[in-house]
Amino acid sequence: MSLILRAQVATAAHAIVSAWPLDSFIAVNPLAGRESHPFDTATTPHAATARPVSAYLADLQRGRITIADLEEALLERIPELADQDLPIGGTTVSAASVAALDMQLVAVDQAPAPVSVSTLSWVDEYLAVWVATYLCPDPVWPMPHRSDGFYQAWHALARLGPSLPRRVRRTLTTFPQHPDTALARALERLNITAADIPDVLRTELEHLPGWVGHIKWRAEHVGDIDLVSYLAVRFTLRAALGLSPTADQTAQAEQATQTSAQFWVRAEHVAGALTHSRPNREDIAAVARMLATHPITHHRHTWQKAYELNYRTTLLSQLRGTGAAPECPKVQVVMCIDPRSEGLRRHLEHDPTVETFGFAGFFGVPIRFARYQARGAINSLPALLSARHHITERPARQEQARKFIEAGKFRDALQHAVHTADSITATPFAFAETAGWFYGAASILRTLSPRGHARLSRALTPSPRDVVSEVTIGDAFTLQERAAMAETAVRMMGMTQFAPLVVLTGHGSESENNLYQSALDCGACGGNPGRANARAAAAVFNDPEVRVLLTDRGIPIPAGTFFVAAEHNTVTDLITLLDRHLIPENHSSLSRQFETLQRTAADQLVTERATDLPGASPRLSPARLRGRGYDWAEVYPELGLAGNAAMIIGPRTMTRGVDLGRRVFLHSYLTQLDPTGTALETIMTAPLVVAQWINHQYYFSALNPDTLGAGTKTVHNAIGTLGVISGHSGDLRRGLPWQSVGLGKKLFHEPMRLTVIVEAPLARIGDIISRNQVLRDLFDNDWVTLTAREHPTAPRHTYTTYGWKLTAITMEGH
Amino acid sequence: MNNLTKMTRLEIVVPARDAPAIRELITSAGATGYTAVSGVSGIGHHGQHSGSLLFNEYDTLTMLITVLPPDKASELIDAVRELLNTSSGVMFVADTYVSRPDYFQ
Repeated sequence: MSLILRAQVATAAHAIVSAWPLDSFIAVNPLAGRESHPFDTATTPHAATARPVSAYLADLQRGRITIADLEEALLERIPELADQDLPIGGTTVSAASVAALDMQLVAVDQAPAPVSVSTLSWVDEYLAVWVATYLCPDPVWPMPHRSDGFYQAWHALARLGPSLPRRVRRTLTTFPQHPDTALARALERLNITAADIPDVLRTELEHLPGWVGHIKWRAEHVGDIDLVSYLAVRFTLRAALGLSPTADQTAQAEQATQTSAQFWVRAEHVAGALTHSRPNREDIAAVARMLATHPITHHRHTWQKAYELNYRTTLLSQLRGTGAAPECPKVQVVMCIDPRSEGLRRHLEHDPTVETFGFAGFFGVPIRFARYQARGAINSLPALLSARHHITERPARQEQARKFIEAGKFRDALQHAVHTADSITATPFAFAETAGWFYGAASILRTLSPRGHARLSRALTPSPRDVVSEVTIGDAFTLQERAAMAETAVRMMGMTQFAPLVVLTGHGSESENNLYQSALDCGACGGNPGRANARAAAAVFNDPEVRVLLTDRGIPIPAGTFFVAAEHNTVTDLITLLDRHLIPENHSSLSRQFETLQRTAADQLVTERATDLPGASPRLSPARLRGRGYDWAEVYPELGLAGNAAMIIGPRTMTRGVDLGRRVFLHSYLTQLDPTGTALETIMTAPLVVAQWINHQYYFSALNPDTLGAGTKTVHNAIGTLGVISGHSGDLRRGLPWQSVGLGKKLFHEPMRLTVIVEAPLARIGDIISRNQVLRDLFDNDWVTLTAREHPTAPRHTYTTYGWKLTAITMEGH
Repeated sequence: MNNLTKMTRLEIVVPARDAPAIRELITSAGATGYTAVSGVSGIGHHGQHSGSLLFNEYDTLTMLITVLPPDKASELIDAVRELLNTSSGVMFVADTYVSRPDYFQ
């Protein structure tokens, strides 16, 4: 066994981003491995990082980008242009305006379209079948030798199957049985030199990127397969077939280059357009000197910057700080930072006695949660953390819990019987003959009356949520830990007062026949609904012992304040209060008032959202709009986080009363409650990082629907809960389906990198960035932009690699 | 030295996201164990590194410490160097002495 070879495989896989399984879909930046490099150098043949220039020109025509945006983008990308003026044709023009003119005149695309995933080789197709078979085995027909490992199972079985020629199968018997030695032997037989091995391994891992990303995740979380065994199969097969690995095609992204003659023609065109006549040689030379600072290959990213600046300028001009918080709120609603919460918060705040806050949807309580007597458990915490605290439920009414368990056992037995009859080779036809009529009738009902079918299903299938219970938070965290979690949450949110009722609102999405439902749940809860965390957090805050410790730490929570857990269903926009049996009698009236209030807000929001939702209309009743969630043919139950473009970290007074179009992650924060800056550092290194992952997942899925997105949902087939493939074979699809970002052939998601806006001292923000590599990478390499001001009346500044720069919008006096 | 047995100690500081690959190399090298310290802070070639972060274990630094016989250490050292050629991190190698060598064989 060669450790060096293992290290070379690990090196080759370093930039590969792990792909989580479908049932806990985690949005990730598919190019996260390149975040230590400037954003505009991340382009590969498989990944475009900006749209075609023609798309930006169309935006210029319709006013989505202005010339001012273009010039500002140029100044941000090439700061030295700011001090340059060009004397041309007897007048003087700014260098930025010359460069902007050049970009409009040279309207050609410099990068090829991303390579489609449909070009899989025979080896890729073959491997995809074997990996899928190994990782998703048939429950009633187990794969022989599976427990030995992927390579070993393949090595034992491939020699027996007819899919390889007899000569190849004979050759396979000569290869070692251990993956490490087999890989080394195969590389040797393929005459790969030691110097070439790293590149050859990296190139080979670029095939089937979906499966490779999932294997990387699986190696760390499950351990039944790793990339060494995967590569051992690939190279052993290649060696047996006599197929040399392809040459590295990704090292050099194809980029248009300009000849010297073309460059001078370009300069002449620009000079001519400026002088409105035939330019002289001096004018052309002056323009050429300036154009040399902005090569044609940089244009697309300058256009993208201008596209984002236009949005940022509009957003900043909206934030005038006119929304004062209520002095004595009756209800405070804490919601996830998810942009979908913004709409509901805005509508809830139509009532002047309601105050809302934004906080990461796991409420600072990272847990592994199992329902009462349930088989499995979920990691309900950000992917940035490991699950260490296990909690479950303790039923409050034993008799009800007993009946539920008995009913559940009966239901499980029935489902198992049906599944067995459906799966075993001998019985499906007989099963279809006898039970087909029932399923046929159910399918007709489900198709013609989705809401009726849903009601019937609910009546026949009691939900575990119906069991009255409490979460066992006290068993999982010590008193000191619980007090610390509560203090952290209060300081991070900037909560300076407490209303009689505080509603901690997690969120989840409910839809039918949706393989990507997990992508619509809470990202801060590991792609799960946030109700367990909301219940746990409410239990922490209501704990009298915790409150005593909080008082000692300067956070007195009045005895009359009660925290209640709730869940926001992002398809219906309704908020459901959880653990109602825990609500004290003296808070029941206020709870009912809140339920009435949220119903009105939800109706307003669901109608507002219908404007953007394909196939919906604001003229439809809220009940009908909500019915889409039950329709098993509906591919747009909701739009998820489409449109997400910014994150605001600051007090709600910055944004209260402003319609942010459900596009902004909102994290509450108050400098005064965070004297050490710890809370801001936590926000910037966790919620901001997760928001950036989500933002780039949408960004790249929109720009590269075939390579970094999952393509259309309509041809997806599930591979267990691992992921989906398009059609009957091929690579595991990465990213979001087309229906998350586009309709027909048009995008409805505007791909923009995250604009982060913070209200906090600039020096503090700078310190936090300088001591965290992840933030240095994101901000210094332009993966995320940052604008900040110290207090509401201070001028805004934009973070650049050269330091803070006064934001243009401030200088224009907006 | 006091009936102690000479061993080789490796201390490897890498971003937490790269730690699984190092751990895998350590176990593949035949080391009987390792110690992981997450959230280490300091200043190095890439600048300052904050210590542990409250809600992010993924973007902090982890220090992995392992002790193994010198004959097993050589290949592990080469492998870790190979890995660190293209990613950030540092490795310190030192002689060390242990009282119960059978724990490390």
